[in-house]
Amino acid sequence: MKKRLGLIIDQERCIGCEACTVACKIENRGAKGWIRVKTLNVAQKDTPEGRFPDLKMHFFPQLCQHCERPPCVEACPIEALIKHEDGPVSLDKEKCDGCQTCLDACPYDALIFNNEMDKAEKCNLCSHRINQGLEPFCVICCEGQAIYFGDLNDSNSRVAKIIADRETFQLHPDEGTGPGIYYCPPSSPRGL
Amino acid sequence: MAVDVDTKLIRTVCPAHCGIDACGILAHVRGDRVVKVEPADFPNPKYRRICLRGLSSLEITYHPDRLKYPMKRVGKRGEGKFERISWDEALDTIADKFKDIAAQYGWPAIGWTLGGPGAGTTKFGAYLRLASLTQSTRVSAWGYGDSGLPCGSRVLFGTHIPYGMLYGTLFTESRAPDVLVVWGSNPGEAQPLNVMRPIMDAKEKGTLLVVIDPRFTVTASKSDVYLGVKPGTDTALALAMMNVIFQKNLQNDAYILRHTNGPYLVRIDTRKFLRGKDIGAQEENEYVVWDSVSNSFRTRNAAETVPSLNGAYAVEGLECKTALQLLKELAEEYPPERASEITGVSADIISKLAERVGKAKKVTFVTNMGFTRTYHGDISFRAMGTLAAVTGNVTATFKGGHLPAVLNWKPFLHANPDKPSYARLGILQLYDAVISGKPFPVKAVWFSFINFLNQCANSKKIKNEMFPNLDFIVVADLFMTPTARFADILLPVTSYLEFSDFVPFPYPYVQLQQKAIEPLYEARSDVDIAAGLAERLGYGEYFQGGEDAFVDLILDSKDSSLEGITREKLKQGAMPLNSIPEMAEEFDIPFSTPSGKIELYSENLYEDGQALPVYLEPLEVPVSTAKKKYPLAFIQGHSRFRTHSMFANVASLLEMNPEPVVEINPKDAAQRNISANDRVTVFNDRARTTLKASVTEGVGPGVINITQGWWIDQFEEGSVNHLTHDVINPVQEKIYEPNMHMNDVAVEVIKYKEGQS
Repeated sequence: MKKRLGLIIDQERCIGCEACTVACKIENRGAKGWIRVKTLNVAQKDTPEGRFPDLKMHFFPQLCQHCERPPCVEACPIEALIKHEDGPVSLDKEKCDGCQTCLDACPYDALIFNNEMDKAEKCNLCSHRINQGLEPFCVICCEGQAIYFGDLNDSNSRVAKIIADRETFQLHPDEGTGPGIYYCPPSSPRGL
Repeated sequence: MAVDVDTKLIRTVCPAHCGIDACGILAHVRGDRVVKVEPADFPNPKYRRICLRGLSSLEITYHPDRLKYPMKRVGKRGEGKFERISWDEALDTIADKFKDIAAQYGWPAIGWTLGGPGAGTTKFGAYLRLASLTQSTRVSAWGYGDSGLPCGSRVLFGTHIPYGMLYGTLFTESRAPDVLVVWGSNPGEAQPLNVMRPIMDAKEKGTLLVVIDPRFTVTASKSDVYLGVKPGTDTALALAMMNVIFQKNLQNDAYILRHTNGPYLVRIDTRKFLRGKDIGAQEENEYVVWDSVSNSFRTRNAAETVPSLNGAYAVEGLECKTALQLLKELAEEYPPERASEITGVSADIISKLAERVGKAKKVTFVTNMGFTRTYHGDISFRAMGTLAAVTGNVTATFKGGHLPAVLNWKPFLHANPDKPSYARLGILQLYDAVISGKPFPVKAVWFSFINFLNQCANSKKIKNEMFPNLDFIVVADLFMTPTARFADILLPVTSYLEFSDFVPFPYPYVQLQQKAIEPLYEARSDVDIAAGLAERLGYGEYFQGGEDAFVDLILDSKDSSLEGITREKLKQGAMPLNSIPEMAEEFDIPFSTPSGKIELYSENLYEDGQALPVYLEPLEVPVSTAKKKYPLAFIQGHSRFRTHSMFANVASLLEMNPEPVVEINPKDAAQRNISANDRVTVFNDRARTTLKASVTEGVGPGVINITQGWWIDQFEEGSVNHLTHDVINPVQEKIYEPNMHMNDVAVEVIKYKEGQS
């Protein structure tokens, strides 16, 4: 089976620190980090939901889902967005003319618009690193060790095993995009 | 590692003062510039790590506001007017001034106020060596929030740092605990790598995670059980848990018998331990137990004795009870219902948690210095530690010595063995030494690794009473901090990429913080600065060879754990300690307490009313519901965006977390007509602090939180430490060093009104 590189983000281990965001910005020099951490179900980040002391707070790192059938690629009128054989969806910044069609097409709000350069930006799964046999930079900088990288199609890979063994979910499966990013949901408190 | 040919990779360490995380860093150097930092490899890949601050650390090194050359003050103190001078002029001025002051008041009038060196050693050791040689004063910074824990730990365990005994096993490959209780600590933000990762690993293996904290922190968000305790009431909670444990007979009697002073008899008349001489035994000073076989008093080591753990005994009119009996009687006063009223935690949860802890095979207690930053925080620690001890959860297999011996600073002290060492003052005792000359006058202060005005209690007092009483202030720093503005001489120091140091962390490794680039501008390393001053004071011979020589001084100190480890080898990467303390199943730890055992009962504190871990109300935190002038408890959590006051000026972190906010519960906010993002003023009799409100359930009613470390100039008015007090707890002073009680402060909050400062 062909390679399908992707990530699993383990919400059980994500501590919402945003090291991934900082790491991404350093590695890719984007206008913003291409991976951003939201606090679930609240308007204000780092804020729990519920009423004290019965509270919960979960973090949700959001980034390009490296779809199997990426709507952004389809939408881009000048083919600046490319779906690679081995999984990543990347953006050719040279080509991009800043039309923002892709921003509207993406159901994951994953593309970022760089106002200064008048171009779109997005996570390319650190293809410059993975082509050298390295992991994406956010993976090695994750404080909680909550991001797992690998070949989703290789049944021996750690990521494939996690998908087989643990509860995982994908974002908006109804959109038919076939995301290459899986999430492990946080566990429920077991109580006493 | 694939990088282009022009890039050099230097393995170094981020030594920021976030506990002892000491992340290994691979610095990418192109020409004379570090262009990137990334987490370096470790022999065990689990230790490869970096945090968002470490990732941003290049912004410190290349910050436009770096102090670039030595300066002398030309305006008034605090005005921030300085003039560039040469290093020679700076060091000559300091040496002359120190000599003048010493001639008039003696060398102890020079106070080396050294804050947190992080994971570094030689940079701190250099100043200690100079303080020691000149017999001036070392101002210990434990008391700026951290000494409550060692105070409590010294009484209970006889050890300064109890982590090894409480949660050392988290760092070994041993079995995950059944229950892990994180008490008054938020490693999820404050120590995400060294502590939070192994906590999450344990939870993955099935450990039940319990978090006790007034705030619903990141750590709490990962918990199975959260107890939102009121600040400063932890002792009542621990006593109530012991109440349930004793009631249900879930304590670990065998452990208590073997490792604690629980079976020793206490005289009811004097409340001191019964001694051999009281019963006519030859071992006059030996502790006495009640032998349940012969029904008689016996000294503790007498042959064939089966000591009773409980009960009252009288012989010839001498009435005694076992120490454990006295502890049980104290715990009896705190049924869960009573503790619930004090702590705000439901009685049901207290009972169930106590039962769970009592029945579990292995419970690990993780704590740090948060809940000991209250007036009676040392007792809070003792109460938690006592709970751990009576349930047999103080690790007798992980000898406290998990830190290499270098941390006693011995290699740096007694450079001249004929000379006695420095005088010592706690940081809170420095206030009086400067202001009223007690116990001796301090006239000059050197500040390194500390933003004193920003981070120490009662800012106005420091500014208005302390600083004006100092003849001379030296600050060595990277930036014009709120403290630096008050310097007479201001010295630019290097960032971590510009000097070398020895880093004895993370356990079980040691690392070399290797210089990646030459110092920028005219900045110098602390070792170089100390050496330059030493030269002028006549001690140059003890500072030859710079940082490398001091690193070797530690490596050659004949500590067996460092054998075979060299500076050259460390340039390649982290090395494991050569010998690691024994990990036998169980052995008797010689606790450095008077009894050599864990002291459930401390007779030395009887006169202070604290022989047992009694619950005493916090100094300021309003516990009762009675109407008070300042009804809100103010606490200071730690933020992942800063390490104390470091990184508060880093642009990419400010982008994510732009300004200080006060967290307030919606109920308290509504009562005060405060909405989200309103400007509000937090105040008490000491000061006013104005900032933005964050209305959140993350703190309980009656509690407000402002994360610590924001610089004074980042507030509209005031700051966190404008609100804190500098009251000395005399019992802590007696035990070790008085603490600052940043989490024991009462305030009121109102909507900000113009022109009302």
